[in-house]
Amino acid sequence: MAERADDRLVRLLGLVAYLDGHGPVPVADLAARFGVSEQKIRDDVDQLWVTGTPGYWPDDLIDFDADAVERGVVHLTNARGLTRPLRLGTREAVALVAALRALLDSPPVQADATRAQLVGSALAKLTAATGEAASAVDVRLGHGGDPAVVAAVTTAVAQGRRLRIRYVNAADVVGDREVDPARVLTQDGAGYLLAWCHRAVGRRTFRLDRVLAAEVLDEPVDAERVAEVGGDVDVAASVAGGGDGEAAEVTVTFAPQARWLAEDVASQAVTELGGGVFAMRVRVTNPAWLRSVLLAAAPSVLAVDPPGVAAEVATAARHALDAYRASQGAS
Amino acid sequence: MSDPRSPGESVAGSAVPPAERLLNLVIALVNTSVSMTKQQIRRGVAGYADAPSAEAFERMFERDKDTLRALGVPIVTVDAGGHSDDVGYRIDNEAYALPPVELTPAELGVLALAAQLWSDKALRADVSRAMTKLRAAGNTEAEDALAGLAPRVRAVGDAYGPLLDAVTQRRVVRFRYRAANSGAVAERRVEPWRIAARGGGWYVVGRDLDRDAARVFRLSRIEGRVRLGARPGAFEPPAHVDVDAALGVVGAPRTAVLAVVPERASAVRARALPSPADDGGAAGSGRVPRAPQGYDVVAVPYTSTTTLAEELAGYADAVVVLAPEKLRGEVVRRLEAAAGLDRLGGPGLGPVSGPGPVSGLGPVSGLGTAAQDESESEGEGRG
Repeated sequence: MAERADDRLVRLLGLVAYLDGHGPVPVADLAARFGVSEQKIRDDVDQLWVTGTPGYWPDDLIDFDADAVERGVVHLTNARGLTRPLRLGTREAVALVAALRALLDSPPVQADATRAQLVGSALAKLTAATGEAASAVDVRLGHGGDPAVVAAVTTAVAQGRRLRIRYVNAADVVGDREVDPARVLTQDGAGYLLAWCHRAVGRRTFRLDRVLAAEVLDEPVDAERVAEVGGDVDVAASVAGGGDGEAAEVTVTFAPQARWLAEDVASQAVTELGGGVFAMRVRVTNPAWLRSVLLAAAPSVLAVDPPGVAAEVATAARHALDAYRASQGAS
Repeated sequence: MSDPRSPGESVAGSAVPPAERLLNLVIALVNTSVSMTKQQIRRGVAGYADAPSAEAFERMFERDKDTLRALGVPIVTVDAGGHSDDVGYRIDNEAYALPPVELTPAELGVLALAAQLWSDKALRADVSRAMTKLRAAGNTEAEDALAGLAPRVRAVGDAYGPLLDAVTQRRVVRFRYRAANSGAVAERRVEPWRIAARGGGWYVVGRDLDRDAARVFRLSRIEGRVRLGARPGAFEPPAHVDVDAALGVVGAPRTAVLAVVPERASAVRARALPSPADDGGAAGSGRVPRAPQGYDVVAVPYTSTTTLAEELAGYADAVVVLAPEKLRGEVVRRLEAAAGLDRLGGPGLGPVSGPGPVSGLGPVSGLGTAAQDESESEGEGRG
């Protein structure tokens, strides 16, 4: 897709303002600074070269040292008044300030005083420069997780050291394991640890609010394995896309009240059945997870296919109601 | 202005690319001694001569002006005389520049990480332009001081652009909205105060004009386009907008007394208060049900009854709520419905439920992005 004109304009203006204060700069350095290819920078220079004030005679145009360009160095000789960097637009300031505020409030940053101080000072400088109240957008990243656990996990990631964690999985089973932590991912409502798990001998994702205890070990992480864990993972998508367990497909029909489930659960497909009723097809690698979803949303469940899944949930619910009856004595 | 759109989009037959025309306009208006009229711009600035008619030029110029203003370029009008044709345009050179931001390499690294927060296309475009400007202003190279952290907020969708413009310009908006409880779609008129993201959901908080009350709307339930009122400054938002209170994320902190099967529900136990025995007051004045035989008793703080009821119902008989009664009732209501799931017929024949989530918003955390384990017993999961 072609680059948007406004994105390009902002880079063209930025290039001139930056070059005006910096003498000759290699094309490669400009490409790195502005996060684009060297070819784009060359195209930008070609563009700037034919731009200027009305009349557009040679002296009216933005100008460069042509010899330098031949050698892969950009040397601006006439900025036509564009010597200062452009201020941020309202939307730009809002997007950046809201992101910084969310980052500052997030548990991984709050877990460490140095980090919190650093994010705080970046936010203060930016707010001062934009002069924006920038309160139009207010974003909080999910909380969750014992602060001591979050602190230990983020320390281990920063220092590249192995972690021993006590973890309770979705089937409610607690286990101890050693992991090489790669990243702390804060996504939507929750924090996750992406790590190489020595017990599972593979890459695993752990929800921070299910890590019951974490201890930073002296042993360094295996850099190769950590690299293998990879950087960016959409937790929900990674689950929907694969998993090595036996997967079963289950279709659940919900009343309109459960609309939030359609928005929040990673499903294969959602079919609208009219009047707000909808059917959701989910790929289930973990029956305990589906059972808990159905128990929680049961008042809005209209149908479950295959029916065997519903029968299991109903049996679990009857056992639970027995336990409630057993506790009823004094109430 | 509103997304999606292509600022400065090329007109058919145009020879000058839009970015070049916009840049020429900026340079012309920065360098003009007093100001330029529209006619001077049409005749003089490269790119505008391509407009085939006066109307086409007019549209092109208006759109370019909006685009530049949205980018932060301060285009001001200068009234040079009595005729509207004499209105001149120039760029306010005082207001043009970004004030000096002396960022350390680590702080620039923080900004770069913050810029990664958005998954949304429109927000990413906004934030990447901001970063381009900051990089143009600075001498420092970014340094990754927060290595290993990866914050993400999910995409917000098409409603964001127009809503943000409405919030910043204080315009009334109209949109069609699917109600959480009934699924019915109806037109709403709202004074939007603030856009918020919590737990994976995007919301707009504002005053519903027809109900004359503060309301929260989930952006994913807005159907079709958001239309902006013509008048800017149409309302005055409250001095303090408490998004969390409006969303029901924070209520008065309360304590639940739970009976838990030994060794089970460790994720719940992890949040327990140190000494449940001291928290007898949590149950109120009524007498507390007894824990079933063999269960442990723990006290867990919470704020949202709906969210905790959903979580605890998911544990089936591993957790029994003893107090407060409202939470116990919410869990029992879910379990009773679940106990009837094996007697369901086809769609529409099942139990018609009582009230939906208390706030009408669904849980903000709770089940959230329900991710399952990667394999049967390893990895993360939600329960």
